[in-house]
Amino acid sequence: MDALTALLAGFAVALTPQNLLWALAGVTLGTLVGVLPGIGPALTVALLLPVTFSLEPTAAFIMFAGIYYGGMYGGSTTAILLNTPGESASVMSAVEGHLMARAGRGGAALATAAIGSFVAGTLGTGALTLCAPFMVDIALRFGPPEYFALSVLAFAAVSTVLGQSVLKGLTSLFLGLVLGMIGIDPLTGESRLTLGLPQLLDGVDVVIAAVGLFAVGEALHAASLVGNRSDELIPLKGSLWMTRDEWSRSWRPWLRGAAIGFPLGAMPAGGAEIPTFLSYGLERRLARDPGQFGKGAIEGIAGPEAANNAAAAGTLVPLLTLGLPTSATAAILLAAFQQYGLQPGPLLFTHEPQLVWGLIASLYIGNIMLLVLNLPLVGLWVRLLTIPRAYLYGGILVLSSVGAYSVNRSVFDVGLLYVIGGVGYAMRRYDVPLAPAIIGLILGPMSEQQFRRALAAAEGSPAIFFTRPIAAALLALAVVAVASSTLTPWYRKRFGPDGIGRQGPA
Amino acid sequence: MLRRRPKEALRTFALSAVLLFAGHPVLAQPLLDRLLIIAPAAPGGGWDQTARAMQHALEREGLVRVVEVQNVAGAAGTIGLAQFVDSYRGNGRALLVSGLVMLGAIVWNDSPVSIEQVTPIARLTGEYEVVAVAAASPHRDMRSVADALRARPGGVSWGGGSAGGTDHILAGLIGAAAGIDPRRVNYIAFSGGGEAVAALLGGNVTAGVSGYSEFAPHVESGRLRALAISAGERIPGIDVPTLREQGLDVELANWRGVLAPPAISRENRTRLSEVIVRLVNSATWRQTLIDRGWTDIHQDDQAFARYLETERARVWRIVTRLRGSPSQPGEGTPVARLIFPAAVFGGALLVMLLLGIRGPGRARVQPVHHPTNGRAIALVAIGLAAFVILLEPLGFVVAATMLFLAVTRAFRPREAEGSTATGRFWRRQVFSEPALAAVFSALVYLSFTRGLDLALPAGAIWSWMR
Repeated sequence: MDALTALLAGFAVALTPQNLLWALAGVTLGTLVGVLPGIGPALTVALLLPVTFSLEPTAAFIMFAGIYYGGMYGGSTTAILLNTPGESASVMSAVEGHLMARAGRGGAALATAAIGSFVAGTLGTGALTLCAPFMVDIALRFGPPEYFALSVLAFAAVSTVLGQSVLKGLTSLFLGLVLGMIGIDPLTGESRLTLGLPQLLDGVDVVIAAVGLFAVGEALHAASLVGNRSDELIPLKGSLWMTRDEWSRSWRPWLRGAAIGFPLGAMPAGGAEIPTFLSYGLERRLARDPGQFGKGAIEGIAGPEAANNAAAAGTLVPLLTLGLPTSATAAILLAAFQQYGLQPGPLLFTHEPQLVWGLIASLYIGNIMLLVLNLPLVGLWVRLLTIPRAYLYGGILVLSSVGAYSVNRSVFDVGLLYVIGGVGYAMRRYDVPLAPAIIGLILGPMSEQQFRRALAAAEGSPAIFFTRPIAAALLALAVVAVASSTLTPWYRKRFGPDGIGRQGPA
Repeated sequence: MLRRRPKEALRTFALSAVLLFAGHPVLAQPLLDRLLIIAPAAPGGGWDQTARAMQHALEREGLVRVVEVQNVAGAAGTIGLAQFVDSYRGNGRALLVSGLVMLGAIVWNDSPVSIEQVTPIARLTGEYEVVAVAAASPHRDMRSVADALRARPGGVSWGGGSAGGTDHILAGLIGAAAGIDPRRVNYIAFSGGGEAVAALLGGNVTAGVSGYSEFAPHVESGRLRALAISAGERIPGIDVPTLREQGLDVELANWRGVLAPPAISRENRTRLSEVIVRLVNSATWRQTLIDRGWTDIHQDDQAFARYLETERARVWRIVTRLRGSPSQPGEGTPVARLIFPAAVFGGALLVMLLLGIRGPGRARVQPVHHPTNGRAIALVAIGLAAFVILLEPLGFVVAATMLFLAVTRAFRPREAEGSTATGRFWRRQVFSEPALAAVFSALVYLSFTRGLDLALPAGAIWSWMR
């Protein structure tokens, strides 16, 4: 195996004491900045880019890899503990994770997120090592029809299973879809629903919507309950670590999350969010006790957290092999490459083997460091919950505002954050789930644009969605997902009392 | 100067070391301490590459001590332009990367802002457009593409950047030169160069239109085949025939330049122009041009201002021809364009109707147990409003302190006024709370502005008082 020999040489580069130190600095900085709400891995790398100007390329990229992976780890911490996802890929972790944290299992939720991230990050890096060139050919087969079909599948996987009431779930989803339509229509250049405000031409940033709905809404909700003894949350119940049962419920979701995340991350328009949606939907369907979902199911964190870390590794496939940046973070890494006069692309592996394999090796090392760094930190993070809530929410609101401001350095965005926060409070008040709104906001624009691109390329014939095998298969899967989730309750209701289909202990 | 940050000291040291080894003279004093370059596009595209190449060269040459690049993506740069005109008026430390695409988009979008509002600083580079197909495509030259276009315009899909941009303009001009109505060109806009390249590599569009540099690595690796270049004559070192050679009378250069905000002082304008002139003449920049395959077409601020005048008129004529009621198949038909908004609004209406029928009463089941604390919510809302209003005039530290204090007050239970244990706890805390809020805000401010180079508003009033 060529790749393995090259990787060993890469380890020789990455394991020098200096480079290990840079990797450690990278993961530490990445974790710390990633913990802040509204500041995800992309912004983390961008902000820390100047720090590495003075380093030689290999050391700089080893540090970057650490920051990138560290930011992915850090993003889930606040999502779980404080219901304030720092980035859109952590939204699904907030759904079940925060419920666990409220029930005193925050430590276990953080642990499954950290270990799952490690497992998936390592598997993803392994896949990057072995099959990057081959992955890229598959990823390129995904054109507009396939992306449209993928978005439909993601809608089907998540939206049918979120929330107690279908009507409320749909209310939230449509709110997200309408928010997603705000701004310039990229295919024609027309502006839609901007209310004449030029700041809205850009559309509503997903980070602002997520932080507004979750963090600001949560703070307002908590304020509305002040003086109410019944809403105290429990910092810790039982062991800080995962119980045997939690382990056995976690490991399969980790593997499945990695299997979903890596290939989707490798796709030029895949992103890190869709794998988390798909993973959540899948875990909910496969869980031993689906009733746990909505009450804090560990599967619902283990899967999405693994998926977003594997997707981070997947993003490096088109970046290193084709020079195509497919996420904001990848684009900044590309800029970093170019800063050193390196052109990522088909020839980078042959021209700069030391750098590429050093980088890949340091991804493995960074992952191990993150695990070692994060597991002991779990105990420290959990203690965040013991801070008096006045200070906790004061801090959250200040940091969220900084995060919103930093997206475009605009006060308008801070105001928008608060308005969306008000909506988030109203949604909590009436028990409307929040995650479908974020899903609609992310999937809506993608779905529409790819649908129209596909139709344009096919001269208006919708047959393209059914004649391309991958697109057709994905759409068929979506139909199956919807059909099974609507038919199963009906089937249980119809045949359950007769004893048919009741197997195993109740 | 004595209390330099270690990071900066490290950077300066390393910079000097690099310059020393590279044989450059170490410049004693940079012309500017800080410069913000706004790339009005997503990372990865041409404007972003220009901004980052400038950042690299300006810092390396010691012309500017710290250069920051900010991306304000969207609508072919008109969002960036609008924000630039809006927020940086009179600021002599900011530049906006601009180009042909922005001129086109201003016409295309009926943009309320115009290129006349900003201050031209320099035209920098030009790049010719390339038409390319995937390696597996049956098209070997532009003649066969033109034949296919004449036979069935909709059958040839063109992938490129945003609607109304250079890529779109070139596709329209090629259509016109081939003898079809430019509006019938089946142009598919992608957001960002990367996505368009991926669609072309995957064979999802017939042909791709983009700047040479974006296609070059893929042409080199054999995944793409370049069919034509939009230059007047062949470019040395680029083995691609021109459109003219292949019977299509089209020539188009995608120029890029930099603009300064409106209403900057003459002194600032001269200084920015000076920085760019020295950049253009530097060794690092010349090497960048070679590496990226960009052509140097530098013009200083005076010449660029005159050039912009004529270019604006030319672009207006081209784009108004392309625009108008589209008659392309698929994308252009109103059905494809309206189906999604119709579904969203139809669905939203239906949901609202159902909510109306069922009423929110059912939904209110849970909160009934918890009486809402209106006072606390009002206090938090006041804190948020104060933050938005005070952020720019008084600065982050003051605004954040107010917000933090409002929230802590909101979370203090009413019985705190009494003599219960919690009440005593809160009363003891009262005096230290403002201090705590201020210290926290100051720490956040320092760690973001110093540690992360993320500028938070320091407060207009303080700089004004100084």
